[in-house]
Amino acid sequence: MTPDTLPRAEEEQMDALHDTAAPANAPDPADERAEVDPALFEEEGSEPPFARAVRTTPLHLETAAESRTNRWTAWNGYTVPRVLTDLGDEYRALRGAAALMDLSPLVKYRISGRDALAYLERLCAVSVATLDIDRLRHVMFCEGSGMVLGDGLLFRLGADDYRLVTEETHLAWLIDSAEGFRVRVEDVSATLAVLSLQGPLSALLLAELGIGDAAMLEPFAARWIALGGMPVYASRSGATGDLGYELWCDAEDAPHVWRALMAKGAAFGLRPAGFALRELARLEAGYPRAGRDYLSAFAAIDPADALPPAAIWPHFVPDPAKGLFNGGTALRSMQGEAPARRLVRLAVQGLEPVRFAAISAGGAPVGLATSAGFSPALGANIALALLDERAVRSGDLSVLAERRAGLSVGESRLPARILAGPVFSHPRRFAVPAPFRP
Amino acid sequence: MERRDAVVIGAGLNGLVAAAYLARAGLDVLVLDRASSPGGIALPYEIAPGFVLPRYTLGSGGLPPRIAADLDLARHGLRFIRAEGSVACFPGGAYVASYRDGIVHRRELARHSRRDADAWTRYRRDMLRAARGLAPLLTRAAKAPFGGLFAGLRAQLALADRIAALPPADLAAMLRLWTMSASDYLDDYFEAPEIKAHLAAAALIGGTLGPSSPMSASRLVWPWLSETGDAMGGAPDTLMPQGGTIALLQALTAAVEAGGGTIRLEAEVTDVLIKDGRVRGVELANGETIGAGAVLSGLDVKRSFLSLFRWKDLPDGLVERVGRVRMKGVAAKVNIALDAMPDFPGLPEGCPSLGGGLRLAGTIPAMDRAFADWRERMPPRDPVIDVLIPSITDPSLAPPGRHVLSALVQFVPGELHDGTWTVERRDALRDLVTARLAEVSPGIGKHMLACEVLLPGDIEDEVGLTGGDLAYGEATLDQFFANRPFPGQGGASTPLRNFYLCSPSAHPGPFVMGAPGANAAAEVLTALKGRG
Repeated sequence: MTPDTLPRAEEEQMDALHDTAAPANAPDPADERAEVDPALFEEEGSEPPFARAVRTTPLHLETAAESRTNRWTAWNGYTVPRVLTDLGDEYRALRGAAALMDLSPLVKYRISGRDALAYLERLCAVSVATLDIDRLRHVMFCEGSGMVLGDGLLFRLGADDYRLVTEETHLAWLIDSAEGFRVRVEDVSATLAVLSLQGPLSALLLAELGIGDAAMLEPFAARWIALGGMPVYASRSGATGDLGYELWCDAEDAPHVWRALMAKGAAFGLRPAGFALRELARLEAGYPRAGRDYLSAFAAIDPADALPPAAIWPHFVPDPAKGLFNGGTALRSMQGEAPARRLVRLAVQGLEPVRFAAISAGGAPVGLATSAGFSPALGANIALALLDERAVRSGDLSVLAERRAGLSVGESRLPARILAGPVFSHPRRFAVPAPFRP
Repeated sequence: MERRDAVVIGAGLNGLVAAAYLARAGLDVLVLDRASSPGGIALPYEIAPGFVLPRYTLGSGGLPPRIAADLDLARHGLRFIRAEGSVACFPGGAYVASYRDGIVHRRELARHSRRDADAWTRYRRDMLRAARGLAPLLTRAAKAPFGGLFAGLRAQLALADRIAALPPADLAAMLRLWTMSASDYLDDYFEAPEIKAHLAAAALIGGTLGPSSPMSASRLVWPWLSETGDAMGGAPDTLMPQGGTIALLQALTAAVEAGGGTIRLEAEVTDVLIKDGRVRGVELANGETIGAGAVLSGLDVKRSFLSLFRWKDLPDGLVERVGRVRMKGVAAKVNIALDAMPDFPGLPEGCPSLGGGLRLAGTIPAMDRAFADWRERMPPRDPVIDVLIPSITDPSLAPPGRHVLSALVQFVPGELHDGTWTVERRDALRDLVTARLAEVSPGIGKHMLACEVLLPGDIEDEVGLTGGDLAYGEATLDQFFANRPFPGQGGASTPLRNFYLCSPSAHPGPFVMGAPGANAAAEVLTALKGRG
């Protein structure tokens, strides 16, 4: 960690002379070992870990001011709104105009150094060699056994500079895999806020804020913009199946960006939304969430709960052109054989929201619904469900729904069917230029 | 002659658990104990008026919920309190705490290493996998290979099948856990020395292995055995009986009596009556004899065989085999009464983990040196000290605002290489412990109302536990499973018909409180059923 260009004594002397200079533990570009920069997490030292079970995001004051329901939920150790006003209203805003969500609890890693690309090629199960600067793609990474550890979005910020955004923490695996690579892995979660602007009017809103060429941004591309006077890295991404942007900015700048968007957007129907809408939107778009729809192989106490990528993402096939990567040998030998269990999109008959978990085929249990909700787009209950492979092929699925009325419980067996594609996926999400009207 | 279906020797926790199970099954049970109150090594006593703590044990941990439910102990007034993990304090002021809440626990680990906070996920997975594989083996009797004719053979084949059917990765994981040292095993997961020392120290207490001794890794699993389904992703918690061991003993006594059993105190068994190779009853110190269909001994294996029988009555080779069982004291017990809650300036105020225990540990090399001292039979220079202040979670154990402190000083030899524990050496040990306590809690000495040190030899003299070994025989793999109480004799039944061991000398040893008693009762009932 000590720069090898300066003798230690001399360095200390310089620090003593310039108290305001960068702290001694500032990242040194010459040192390329995998490590964590402790300076990034200083704010956590002030209170003991048990003082607060959940922390607040940089946008907490903004979301709290918008909350009419006072319904909160814990996500990755942070408190975020579950519903700010009404889930139905928030959903209508998302699908009819635009919704703004605080996704700051996402885990963000900065991966840099001259071997960053080689390292990421080794880490990820999909090829990242073709990723251009200011582009992003969905990646997943596996243990040596070929079982999935996690997935996320990989941004290429510069030639040797990447950002990996995940749902859960993976620092131990990222550092352990970095052995032998000249690469630096830093957890930058606390310093980086994320705002998600989603919906058909999201491009129009950015244009109204003076970023007219945001519409020209291609899907899975990103660029720096100025929003509310703040530098923001805007990517055309989001797990809603619709046009949308994710805005990455410094934690201190985030409230200004939020206020700028809300001030301009309210007239266009922009509504702030909570975690429940994020879940519903990604369910309609058919995206599984780590820790909910599948378990990291490191968290799967029952070995059968660890899944290969093909069980989670049906189109996954190991790229034959890709070289050595973690889990590659296992995945290539697994290729062609169907996984024992598979995540599928399910629609359950019924015109009102119901609760269910166990899924059966011909009376025998064959799996469970990992996420479920009532989809206004389909007018039916939908779910992501982990099913035995045989049940996926045979069909004839049903769920046992419980409905409580007064002091009695009504049970009904509702037929379920597997959906071929996502419930909601609008063509405008890929349109260039992005349309300005719904 | 008085006759009972079953006689239990010793009213300790396991003896009472066995008696309660047998009484519940309709047997006429008599529990005999030479002391004037039940408890055995869990004996609660008042160190000063109103200050209650277990005299010989640390007093952490409770019965597994399964036993508490089977014996209906809630109806007999038993309640449990959940305490957070524990805290380890290191020289120089660093500390590591364990929390139940996964998010909070990871934040705690991140204070030492951000990487290790994330490695916790994999460590927890492997510990829970091992615990789930182990739990079924602990709650039933481990049969010696070829023990009972067909049943033993079948059990052995089933076990062999299960091991053979394990995928290579699982077999590798099993071998790693059962052969590695705790220190090497933890190196596979963590980098921060404090985190490794915290986890290793918690696993070593009461054992005869240092953190770098081969096979010590398996002891890391034991806190996880009690982990329940509603776990929150953090460290396993500890379950403590409300009211301390007194409450636990009272509930067990009530359960024995509710089933029609009797507990007779101040009745010392001096001999077990044996005729035609079968145990027929017991003889008391006052000459009285009591006939019994089954005799269960809650004493350790050496005392059970070597002091209750005439050696010529025992089958060939038994005396030698029992004599070779390793039982050595490793810990001294220090009991302290405090007139106020001690101050821990190095810990954050209100740290909830303090209720689960405080450990004064060194780094792993320091613990290895402490272990080496014990092997050399030196008086400890830098011992690992496990401290529990049970009155934090349970204020009923001390007068209002006051506290009791229980400490187990790990790696104290029963016998010294150069003579005996003289009064000066005892005082030196007491001063060492109070000095170490004062390092983390300056001024604790001023609050001490009473302080008492019990060496392994004192424990042996007072309760008759061989060597003062609180584990009732070293709990290493060679003295475990089918080899506990001794090689070739697994489980509660013994080579003597109608004679059973219900102490932690039998399977599954000291790791699950009450389980040896429950297992012994189950074997007695199976044997009686087989006889019709």
